[in-house]
Order: sequence, then structure tokens, then C-alpha cells
Amino acid sequence: MHHFSRYRHGADHPLTRLDPRLKLFSALALLSMVISCKGFAFPLLAAVMCGGLCIGMGVPLRLLMLRFAEPLFIAVMVVLLKLFFVGEVPLFSVHVLGLDIIGHREGLVDGLRIAVRISGAVSLVALLGFSTSFTDLMGALAWFRVPRTIIEIAMFAWRYLFVLLEDAQVVYHAQKNRLGYAGYRRGLRSFGTLAGALVIKAFDNSQNITTAMVQRGYDGTMPLMRHRPFRPGEVIFSLLFVLTMGIIWRM
Amino acid sequence: MVRLMVTTLLLFLASPAYAMHISEGILPFDWAVLWFAVAAPFVALGVKRLNGLAKDDLAMKPLVGLMAAVVFVISCMPIPVPTAGTCSHPCGTGIAAILVGPLVSVLVAAVALLIQAIFLAHGGLSTLGADIVSMGVAGSFAGWLVFRGARKAGANLAVAGFLAGVAADWLTYAVTSVELASAIRGNEPFLPLFGKILIAFVPTQLPLGILEGAMTAGMVVLLQRKRPDLLVRMRVTKGGNGVAAMLFVLLLAATILTSSPSLAADKWAGVDEAVVEKVAREHGREARRPLIDLGEGDLQLFAFLLAGTAGGFAAGYYWRMLVSEKRPAGRG
Repeated sequence: MHHFSRYRHGADHPLTRLDPRLKLFSALALLSMVISCKGFAFPLLAAVMCGGLCIGMGVPLRLLMLRFAEPLFIAVMVVLLKLFFVGEVPLFSVHVLGLDIIGHREGLVDGLRIAVRISGAVSLVALLGFSTSFTDLMGALAWFRVPRTIIEIAMFAWRYLFVLLEDAQVVYHAQKNRLGYAGYRRGLRSFGTLAGALVIKAFDNSQNITTAMVQRGYDGTMPLMRHRPFRPGEVIFSLLFVLTMGIIWRM
Repeated sequence: MVRLMVTTLLLFLASPAYAMHISEGILPFDWAVLWFAVAAPFVALGVKRLNGLAKDDLAMKPLVGLMAAVVFVISCMPIPVPTAGTCSHPCGTGIAAILVGPLVSVLVAAVALLIQAIFLAHGGLSTLGADIVSMGVAGSFAGWLVFRGARKAGANLAVAGFLAGVAADWLTYAVTSVELASAIRGNEPFLPLFGKILIAFVPTQLPLGILEGAMTAGMVVLLQRKRPDLLVRMRVTKGGNGVAAMLFVLLLAATILTSSPSLAADKWAGVDEAVVEKVAREHGREARRPLIDLGEGDLQLFAFLLAGTAGGFAAGYYWRMLVSEKRPAGRG
């Protein structure tokens, strides 16, 4: 639940200092290549490259593993589903409880292809997340003409996410210490109370925020951070990178 | 039969069940684009609806932002699933749809999913469209429609909330199964794989949906007990318990009754005429003519204006002396 933070990793790393618009553009271009790739090599290359860069930026290995846990679990499930349910050519068979369970060759290949694609795509987005602050990313999305309302809501959500998480933790521990989660029925009731308390807090906070913001001149739209001008070196580097990856993808 | 058993076996290998969102990279490019295209009109309508609401109430955008944060936090909470022996997490769009309506709830889900995709690797950027369709569109509309339908049918808040939570959760998974099956089927027929994926979700999601329903009911009941004003403001329930409306009707009736034609004389004399002048006349001190008679009308009003201006100027000029300045010691 808490394997993310509001802080960037590797503040001195060149990738962290790169213009967020260029980072987003490159990441989306590369992501499109990864998910449209039919082979194994390109997604694997993306996974290794991005994973390596994450470690190079000083992202703790444990955090990286936690970030990958869910997608890898899903990847394993997809491989197993494909292995046992898709294909004609038997690869192996296992006799369990009087049943013959057959693994298929085509299913395994298909499943592994999807698993590799998941690894590549997740590494790429993880690298983007680790190297870019949320406000930078929102600024870049606004530059790409994502509707302003979505950006504003995301900014509000991000600002108060950590406050609500802390509140939730406090309430959860208080409930747990009072045996609020002893048994399913009590646990469920406690969880409902916790979630309801969060909704009430959200309502109250939204009123307070609005009052404070109106006093500071809020008229329904929030100002966003201005971007510095593009640096020619960074633009050329990003374009060359995407071009190179495109050539590798076509091979 | 064998395949069913294998599916069941695979499911019980599960550690934490994170199947709520479709993971990054699982959808091929064309499917990812298709789901983005399906989600886009709903997101656009949500933006339009929110902008309309925010024109009347500046607090709407912060409120929706905070609701997105709540949905994010709720969907990060582990919830024990007894049949699978694992923890999973609810989606939270049912309660969001009940409170802010289905279109704005799509927006809430989209923002929560975006943050989760980038900073938690729950879901993904390429699968954002598909996740918005399953969790945002299907979950929100199912929850909202069932809640409204149940309320119209006479169900109380707890029952309606429970049904909405269950519907939001189960429909989210049904749509997720459609999305997954259509994307990963390859050359296989769609329906058998869809069935397998649906069955694969059953041990976790069937009880989880019921748990989410109970949670949603608990939240709605808590809000009704602690902050009924919020439910009224979000138009989940109607305001008051009839007492305020009854008082208003009584007040209106009293006003109408007292404004009916009076039995008194046509013209009521003032205090000056009825009391002061009468007493003065009895004591032989009738009113004399004024020394300077300005008469009635504009000239008299102008004289009052001049007097007021002069008096105001004098008071303003000497206000320090009157209010705050103290005379130096030894003078007067």
C-alpha cells in the first residue's frame, strides 16, 4: 500500500533533470512500440534498460520488487492460463488426483510473449514515475492538451492523498488495537466506518480548501507551473533515442 | 471438468489478488486504443458535467479531487476474502457514484487510476482506457443505477447501498473479463476464454463483491448517522424529516391569515396624533407654528440633508478628539 512516495529518486540523475514533456513523449512512444511488438526481444530490451536505469537512479531494489509484484503476478497467471487452456501441441502432462493436466506449447509461447510485454511496459512506466515528480507530470500532460479539469482534480487528489492515507492509517491502527478487525463481521464494520470517516474528512477538507483558496483569489481554475523553454540538446537527444528504439523495434 | 479443476487450482495458488485493474502491457496496441476510444466520451461528459457543477459551486472541484483520493485510498486497503484465504481490495466506485453521480464518478475513477498506474503499477497507462471502462464506467453506472432503482423501489439506505456496492464490484469484474478475454485470446474463440477468466475471478470476486456491498452500506449508513447534511447536499436523500417543511407551511398560512382584510378603521392614527397631541391639547399646550416654516416636500428634505452633512463633517473632523486623543496633562 505504501510503496510509493511523493519524492523523486535520483535527483541528480540526468534523466530526472530531463524536460518532463520530452520524457512523457519518449515514454509514450516507447510504450506504444512495446505493446504493439509481436516478438520477445524488444520488450525484454525495454525491461532490462528501464530496470537498469531505475537501479542506476538509486531506486531501492525492494521498492522496485514491490512495484513489480502485482504485474508479475498477473503475468504468471496469464502464462498459466494460456499454458493449460490454449494450444494443441502437448508440451508436458502432469497426473494430479487422477486427472491428466496438459500444458501446451503454443499456449506457453503466447503466455510468455504477453508476460514479457507486461515486464517491458511496467518497467517503462515505473521509470517514468520514479524520475518525474507528479507536478511535472501534470504540467506535461497539460502541455499535451489533456483537459484542464482532469489535471486540476488530479492535483487536488495528489495533494490530499497523503493526508488521507495518514488519517486512514491512524484510524486503522486505532481500530486494530481495539480488536476492530477480530473476525470478519467486526472487520467489515470497522472497514466501513473507516471508509465512511474518510469520505466525511474529504467533504470537510474540500470546504476548508475552497474557503482558503477563494480568499487567495481562486475563481474555479488553478494556475499550472510554467515550463522552461525546450533545450535543443534535450530535444535532439529524445528524438534520436525514440528514432533508435523505433529502428530496433522494426528489426 | 479437468480444465475447471485446473483453473480452481491456479486460483488457490494466489497470493494477494490484485486483479482489479488490467496490468500495464497486457493489452495489445489495437485493443488499448479501442478501449481508450470507448472511455473518451464518458470522460468528456464527466468533465462537462463537473464544469457545469463547478460554475454554481466552487467547492465541487476540490470535492471531486478529494473523492478521487478517497477512492485511491480505499482501493489500496487490503480486505480479507474468506473463501480464497487472501486479501484483495475494493474498487470504491460504487460509493463515489452514489455521492457524486455516475458521470463525475467516471472522472474520479480516471484520476485515481492514472495516479495508481504511474506511481503504484496498479493498472497502467496503456490499459488506462480499459480500466476506466471497467471500473469507472461499468462500476459507476451499475452502482448508481442499482442504488437509484432500489431507493425508488422503497429500499432503505443500507439495502440500497449494499446492492449498489455488489453491482459495482461484480460488473467491474465482468467487464474486466470481457476486456482480458478479447485481448489475450489470440486465435481462440472468445466465449470459452471469457468463461474461464470469469470463473477464475469467482473465488475472489464473488465474496469480495458482497464484502464491498457491506462496506458501501456501512459507509452510507455512517454518513446518514453522522452527517446527514452531506447526503442531502449530494442529493442522495431528501432534506429534513418534514418538520422544516411543516413549519414553513404553518408560517405561510399564518402570514396569509393575518394579511386578510382588517375589521379596524380605514386609517389608523399615529402616536403623535392619537396620544401626544391629544394630551397636549387637554393641557392647553397645542403645537405652535414653527419659526422657520420650510413646509413639506423637497425643500424640507434638502434642509435635513444640509444639516446632516454639516453634522457629519463636524463629527468626522473631531472624531479623534471624541474617541481616542487624550488631552495633554496640565491642560484643562
